[in-house]
Amino acid sequence: MGQSNKETAAPGLISGEEMRLAESCMAAALRSGADQVRVSLGKSVLDSYSMLNGVLDKVSHSADRSIFLYVFADNRYGTFSTNMLDEAELAIFAERAVKTVGMLSEDRCRRLPDPSLTALDAVSGREAGLYDIGYGRMDTGRRLAMAEGECIFGKCHAPEGCRVISEECEYSDSVDDNYLIDSNGFAGRHTETSFAVCSEITVEDRLGNKYSGYWWDSSPFLATLKLGRCSAEALARAVRQIGPESHEGGRMKMVVDASVSSRLVSPLLSALNASSIQQENSFLKGSEGKEMFCRGLTITDAARTPGKPGSRLFDTEGVATEERDIIRQGKVGMYFTNTYMALKMGIRQTIESASRPVLMPYRCDGGEIRPEAGSFGAKEIIGLCGDGIYVTGFNGGNCNSTTGDFSYGIEGFLFKDGEIRNPVREMLITGNMVQLWNSLLYAGNDARECTRWQIPALCFEKVDFSG
Amino acid sequence: MDCNYHLDRFKVTVPQLGQLVAAALSRGGDYADLYFEYSTYNELLLKDGEVTSGGFHIDSGVGIRVLKGDRTGYAYSESTDMPDMLCAAKAAAQIAGGSGTSPAPAGSKACTGAPAPDFYPTLEKWGSCETSQFIPVLEKLESMIRAKDSRAVKVIAKLSWSESEIMMYNSPGELVCDSRPMGSIVATVIFSQNGKNENKTSSRSFRKGVEMITDALLEEIADEAVAGIDARFAAIRPKGGRMPVVMGAGASGILLHEAMGHSFEADFNRKGQSVFSGMTGRKICDSSISIADDGTIPFNRGACNYDDEGVRGQKTYMVKDGVLVSYLHDRISAKHYGVEPTGNGRRESFRYNPIPRMRATYMENGTASKSDLVASVKKGIYVDEFSNGQVKIGEGDFTFYVKSGYLIENGRLTAPVKDLNIIGNGPRALADITGVGNDLTIDNGTWTCGKDQSVPVSCGIPSVLVKALTVGGN
Repeated sequence: MGQSNKETAAPGLISGEEMRLAESCMAAALRSGADQVRVSLGKSVLDSYSMLNGVLDKVSHSADRSIFLYVFADNRYGTFSTNMLDEAELAIFAERAVKTVGMLSEDRCRRLPDPSLTALDAVSGREAGLYDIGYGRMDTGRRLAMAEGECIFGKCHAPEGCRVISEECEYSDSVDDNYLIDSNGFAGRHTETSFAVCSEITVEDRLGNKYSGYWWDSSPFLATLKLGRCSAEALARAVRQIGPESHEGGRMKMVVDASVSSRLVSPLLSALNASSIQQENSFLKGSEGKEMFCRGLTITDAARTPGKPGSRLFDTEGVATEERDIIRQGKVGMYFTNTYMALKMGIRQTIESASRPVLMPYRCDGGEIRPEAGSFGAKEIIGLCGDGIYVTGFNGGNCNSTTGDFSYGIEGFLFKDGEIRNPVREMLITGNMVQLWNSLLYAGNDARECTRWQIPALCFEKVDFSG
Repeated sequence: MDCNYHLDRFKVTVPQLGQLVAAALSRGGDYADLYFEYSTYNELLLKDGEVTSGGFHIDSGVGIRVLKGDRTGYAYSESTDMPDMLCAAKAAAQIAGGSGTSPAPAGSKACTGAPAPDFYPTLEKWGSCETSQFIPVLEKLESMIRAKDSRAVKVIAKLSWSESEIMMYNSPGELVCDSRPMGSIVATVIFSQNGKNENKTSSRSFRKGVEMITDALLEEIADEAVAGIDARFAAIRPKGGRMPVVMGAGASGILLHEAMGHSFEADFNRKGQSVFSGMTGRKICDSSISIADDGTIPFNRGACNYDDEGVRGQKTYMVKDGVLVSYLHDRISAKHYGVEPTGNGRRESFRYNPIPRMRATYMENGTASKSDLVASVKKGIYVDEFSNGQVKIGEGDFTFYVKSGYLIENGRLTAPVKDLNIIGNGPRALADITGVGNDLTIDNGTWTCGKDQSVPVSCGIPSVLVKALTVGGN
């Protein structure tokens, strides 16, 4: 599918009549006594076709629409929603909402964002480049064919000594359309399509032990969706786990696969949320502008990368996104701060959350990283590391948001002399997030194209494993 | 329950329900059902000493499901206008794939037989009260917490309540209705001591009306929110390794839910994915152990007068005297296995098709006392608060984060521990239970199970000794 396809006019889901409903809901709230109002009208359609062992198992069609109403009245604030979009009922809904807000306590920091901060360039919904007009040509036959195309049950040969117990595959596509307006005059629209395939395969070894493997791909555009590969990858992932060995644990190097590495970034971004900081519930309180981590750690919010997952022009307040350094060379560049928290804490307003965080490649030894995506991934990093544990999945665990202390269950493989050996099971890692990110040795350039968070394979030294 | 109120609410008649089912079966489906829902959800949030945010949310629609053998077609409409519902029925009908003819609409079998017991009769509906009435509740809770511990620097308290009106109709002509209340209070407290912070959360949730709010309940939540905070500040991470673990009564039941309960859900077994597939009738643990999933505990968060397929709420034993006796079934798996549904077909809302889900899952009492179990351990840990559990259904491997507990040394609880994980294998851990306490406690926190969809559940367990699990530490 060429670029021209993406740019061709397409209607999205929200009709002119529905936009007028959103505006009438805002007007009703203002008439009922609200000082400021924001209305978010969302519509989405999702179709999915699920296969079990090569046979169609479930067909699902979902079509949603809802209005969220944010009311600011007499320095008070409330959030309301309904999916009953009849104009007369919406007027009653808005009146009730304003009345409810009047019962809450005053909070002078509640208000709409300054109009100068809001996005002006999200008019048609397609500016983020995430709408595939080919979506309109999807039909039952094509969807079913793509679901069937993922299946390998009965056609694949599992390695000797194991058999495939079950295969669950799914094809799905969706379109989401959001229209956001406020009483300061902001109007923005974001429309995106998504196409996805996934597969989960369970195999059984000679001893009756079961192992499962999962793989998926997704894209805003059907043409770039990697079809027909998920089941083979899921099967390979299941088979690789056969015959795990216990490991006594110890302090070792840890390489984390790109498919799961975002698990270790998530606590950092959560801790940079101003709300957590204001509530004394963040281990990164007081960190802005300080070098908290190893200089190899740089995370940028590439919010405006048209056509890429996560790209958006405005947040849920209508505030315009921009490219920003979240962390640069270990120094914290920003907190995630919405209008309310900025006023409450007396700090600069940024954006409420990261859109498309990108963790940049890094080598502690200063070696060259070729620019082609995927040229420096887990395999290359393992080759550089010698011995350690290669983590391919996390199984439960938590990070204490107040202290940064974490403990996660992991699954993966022992590697020695740069080569992957046996799978390991029932292992845990423990540590502290700040210390962990100060022990970063390598960050690859192999983040998965299909993910909103662009986090590559990572390597840390001196990680505590228990087995 | 008289369904006329619900028929009026959704502006449909029984003949129209029959037309919808006929449309759903128009391509040759074996069975069809309709799930009407009108839900209101309200919340109030106290932060920094004041209730400065709140709101309400309305969600309404109808889900239409068609079954053809084990296969499912599902669609829903947010409007209950007939043309919109007929459109959804035709979309769901696709699963049958044929060009069959519409069967004649079935009549209604509503209100036949003995009425189902009501496990959550409501004295005062939430919707009959003004929101302002509940603001002092949160203010009082905050005052109670601060009065109990001066180290509480932040209190976030949330009160939420919902009421769902449900009407279900199916192709055999069964019509049932249910009114489901739910009230929940959650308090999260940040404590500060000598420059260090710790947090603690306490919650209670019941299928009750406004009458659930009492001073005694607030006192209970406040007590729990500050309990053990000295130990939390003093807690260490112990040296890791394999060791005996004593699970405290009550909230440790979440381990039972995650590590074993999901593996008993019949959809995983029907597909051959569960570690317990093909094991009904086999002894899987000590004869002193019985495990049940129960939708009949009055006012419990997991209680169901009917499940979301119109099957009556009931108590189901999965393990009786150490033998695996039943899976947890929805209508699809029950038909597959040739058994009666167990009332476990549940869903998040009309947007989702029902699947086998737990309700209140617990292990029944044994004979040991908690102190006996602890005394029998030379070196291990005692755990009283878990979170963030995860299980791999096929392998049965699970991991749980331990928020608080104690070392056991020479049969005594000694140093407090926190922020560590235990990891193990569900069937093996079940087989490794060597002692069951006599102190079964159902935990009434805001437990929500997230298997594809979110549904309210609860869990419970007596004190239990597992002879060896891997504990992650320094």
